[in-house]
Amino acid sequence: MTNPYHHPLGSTTLAGGEASAGLPPVNVRRPSYASVVSGGSSSLARPGRSSFSHLLNPTPDSEQQPHASNHFASAQAPQFEPGGAYAQNGASGEDDSARYQFNQTLDRALRPSRLGSSFPYFSRAFDLYMGKDPLPPTHSTAPDDLRFPSDPTMPNVSSTGFLSPSYLRGTIYLQKLEEKHRAKLLAEREGGLSAGAQPGPSASVASSRIVSNGSSSHLPMLGTKVTGSAHRGVAYDVVEKPMLESEADDEFSPLPSKWNKDDKEAALEVLGDGYEVRHTGRVLSDHEASSIRADHYISPSCGVYYFEITVLHKRKDQAKMPPIAIGFASKEASVTRAPGWEPDSWGYHGDDGNSFASQNVGKPYAAQFGTGDTVGCLLNFRLNHALFTKNGQELPIAFKDIPFKDIKGKLYPIVGLKRKDDHIMANFGQRPFMFDIDGYMRTQQEIIEEEIRLADTSRLVPGLSETDLIQQLVLQFLQHDGYVETARAFAEELQAEKTALRLDPSEPVKGINIRDDEDAHNRQRIRRAILEGDIDRAMRDTNTYYPSVLRDNEQVYFRLRCRKFIEMIRQEAELNLHLESLRRAAAPQQQQMPDRRDKDEEMLEPGEAGDDDRQEGDRPDLHHHYHDNDMEMEDGLAAGEAAAIDAVAAALSRLSQEALAYGQELRAEFGASDHPRRETPKQLDEIFALMAYPNPLKVKEVAHLLDGSGRVAVAEELNSAILTSLGKSSRAALENVYAQTCVLLEDLRRDGGDGAFVTVQSVIDKIPRPRLR
Amino acid sequence: MSSWNAALELGGLDIDSTFRETVFAQLRESFGQMSSPSTAPTSAQHAFEKRAAAVKAPKSDINALILDYLTMEGYPKAAARFCKEANLQPQQPDPSIQMRQQVQHAIHSGNIEMAISALNEFDPEILDTNPELHFLLLRLQMVELIRQCEGGNVIPALEFATKNLGPRAAANPSFLGDLEKTMSLLLFPHDKLQPELAALLDSDFRRTTAAKVNEAVLLQQNQRREAAIRQFVRMRAWAETSARAQKKDLPESLDVGLDADKEESGDNGDNDNNGDEPMMTT
Repeated sequence: MTNPYHHPLGSTTLAGGEASAGLPPVNVRRPSYASVVSGGSSSLARPGRSSFSHLLNPTPDSEQQPHASNHFASAQAPQFEPGGAYAQNGASGEDDSARYQFNQTLDRALRPSRLGSSFPYFSRAFDLYMGKDPLPPTHSTAPDDLRFPSDPTMPNVSSTGFLSPSYLRGTIYLQKLEEKHRAKLLAEREGGLSAGAQPGPSASVASSRIVSNGSSSHLPMLGTKVTGSAHRGVAYDVVEKPMLESEADDEFSPLPSKWNKDDKEAALEVLGDGYEVRHTGRVLSDHEASSIRADHYISPSCGVYYFEITVLHKRKDQAKMPPIAIGFASKEASVTRAPGWEPDSWGYHGDDGNSFASQNVGKPYAAQFGTGDTVGCLLNFRLNHALFTKNGQELPIAFKDIPFKDIKGKLYPIVGLKRKDDHIMANFGQRPFMFDIDGYMRTQQEIIEEEIRLADTSRLVPGLSETDLIQQLVLQFLQHDGYVETARAFAEELQAEKTALRLDPSEPVKGINIRDDEDAHNRQRIRRAILEGDIDRAMRDTNTYYPSVLRDNEQVYFRLRCRKFIEMIRQEAELNLHLESLRRAAAPQQQQMPDRRDKDEEMLEPGEAGDDDRQEGDRPDLHHHYHDNDMEMEDGLAAGEAAAIDAVAAALSRLSQEALAYGQELRAEFGASDHPRRETPKQLDEIFALMAYPNPLKVKEVAHLLDGSGRVAVAEELNSAILTSLGKSSRAALENVYAQTCVLLEDLRRDGGDGAFVTVQSVIDKIPRPRLR
Repeated sequence: MSSWNAALELGGLDIDSTFRETVFAQLRESFGQMSSPSTAPTSAQHAFEKRAAAVKAPKSDINALILDYLTMEGYPKAAARFCKEANLQPQQPDPSIQMRQQVQHAIHSGNIEMAISALNEFDPEILDTNPELHFLLLRLQMVELIRQCEGGNVIPALEFATKNLGPRAAANPSFLGDLEKTMSLLLFPHDKLQPELAALLDSDFRRTTAAKVNEAVLLQQNQRREAAIRQFVRMRAWAETSARAQKKDLPESLDVGLDADKEESGDNGDNDNNGDEPMMTT
């Protein structure tokens, strides 16, 4: 009796023409400023017009893309910023090894022949390897471009097809999805590599394969733009595999991203990249409707889930609200019924404005909605409720106390249509939403953050106030990690503080003395050596003071030796830069070498080597004399300079040979493909690849392998190994706090609880990133 | 020739290759016989502990927390040392940390006048724009005066109150309660105070006041209010409380491994830390 779909069908079946034509302008979309804020790094942003990958990535609906060419409006290369990307990526702390492998594969892919030109860094091939998919800018868009705008509609989808709705950025959930996505791409990439002959200079092999794939059969609609695909560089052919049932229980299952054409009532057709659904007009009985679910279920781990639909069809009888419903339902709910009528199904119906909670009796909920309206559905797993939005306005809570945890099946976004040519388009987060979901999410986060701010820390370590506890944690960390001088300075300052705080001047102040700790000194010395790049000294000292450590920790030993190799390459590269600048300075003229001594000394400063222009700039006078080049060759000074160049060249060549010999030594020792640690030969490949570059310092993609952060990692690994060998905890209390918090939050994150809204990283990220000196 | 040698010495090219060979040969041999590295896991480890052990706390994050703490809370010497030892660039220029540290030190020592003048030197408007903060400082100054004159001449304290506190409280009624409490210190013997009043005489009052002033200066410098490590530690406390409330499977107690529970006061940093060399008490 309360069947909301009780409408006459007859008079309204006038076709509105082609599905995609004659659409009404839909409401102006408010640009989501929040997504700009949360997006953060503008340097990573690329122009929003490059999202065409979905075309190259055939989806079940790709044959049905009538407007494909629109997405090719303009493709611009994203910026490739390995450093920043990696830094942002290091959120969970668990992904170090993944990143390591990732780098290594990157390297293999990038490796050109020694003399060959390297891949342009902006090539699309590197998209795949970007630590973070570039964040989209959020331009405001013209009112009428919502449907098939001339520019791509999906700024939140990366070129490799990764969907990152703005409101979920920064959450562990999205981060995990991204890791999985990247791992999948890498796996595919690796598969491609092994198929493509030797592991040698395979980038070009792989890229040509990809280009040919990328511009092949699934671009039939390009029309005049076909030629455009060639200059776009390498595109990726990522096949979205249908989700396996085995993935069904995964806590981090992918976000719903399209309508599922295999999970719908027969009268519906899926259009427009899988975002649109249209009713083809089979006549249904009153108690029937045509529903369709999205491709993936909503994982409660996201904490809050949101999607929107826009009602597209322009009806003659605009006054009437078409029977369209939006909601969420499990797989159990029949697609021949409207959302909300079935068990485990909830919906908001446009024709009467009622809400339905798993029964076909509705409750008056809010206004009706119809053509041109955008309606959103929001699930809050933390508060166990759901609500809807209309045209960007938040409506009241529709369903309270939803037993999310007890629902057997997983919940999917769902829509129900009833009459011919009723037509909707969904936004699963690929574009900015009309509703300020970012703001909603932030509010949720702020609530939790406020709870945390007020948390009582006094029970963490009984007897210690927060300030005392932090002082102890810091002091203990400094001692534990062998920061002897800092620990002493800190202890002194703490003592001064206590002296000042004391009320009775005659009261003695207990001092904190950092005992002269031989062991901490040794560890500090070893760390120092590594941080300075002197791996030999570090290994010598380690063997002197802790003879068993390297023997018992093969991995650490291996990493040290790899680092040694990297340092050799680094020296070689720096010397190489210096030689180049010497040659350049000498080539125009051979006279007026100001002071050779100076030059030699400059060469000793590694920091300068990367800056060859500077050296040239220092000697503007050198350029005046190039015309009497030949004559000057006779000059004694010129000869001296030539000798200097020769000497550097000779040193360089010796260095190269030594590096090569050392590399071979490493290869012999660790490179066996049956090495017990499977990753070891791969790691070797990664660093050996450095030799392939004329100057790796100049190659953005690999220069990071040479930079100081690698020293830090090795130094800390060795320090931990030494501590373990001494029977001490390999971790300071502060690190325990970190790890415990991560695991606690993980527990709190299940089922979309409070933990879904905060991360340890969010606290760390508030600190301006300290730079290495 | 000199350049040749210089180039060779460029950062440790003087490899002692014989030494290296010997060591490596030894190591290679020992790897052959080596089984798994000796680890000593406790037998019945809770699943939680195992999971926590598997979490890597990136050193760069921990170092960032430390440097941030030393900088924000005003430990300039330690911050500078740490930058050196950990190869980091300072988060803030030294003078800025020192200035805040000096103000804090003055407050800790009860020299409020000096603190106020240092603050005014830093930014003449900082106290004007923070009347609560200014009143707090003046109240602390009053407490210090009372402390000095206990059992003796209370006139200087009274004069101070009528000159500085009264007018402000009159202008801002919300200050009145605090003023009354402070003044009542004059009336009761200090060893028989209610806890609320005794707290004013405790050194913690200096400490919290100094912290508030520090926060205000940090905000003025366009920075965050407090060191991230505070939120970090609170997050840990909050997460445990929430997880226990939700009956998550946790060990009975979660030790952070500080072992600081034997001395019940936090006044001494002389606790042994999970087997590390202890800090000695002089």
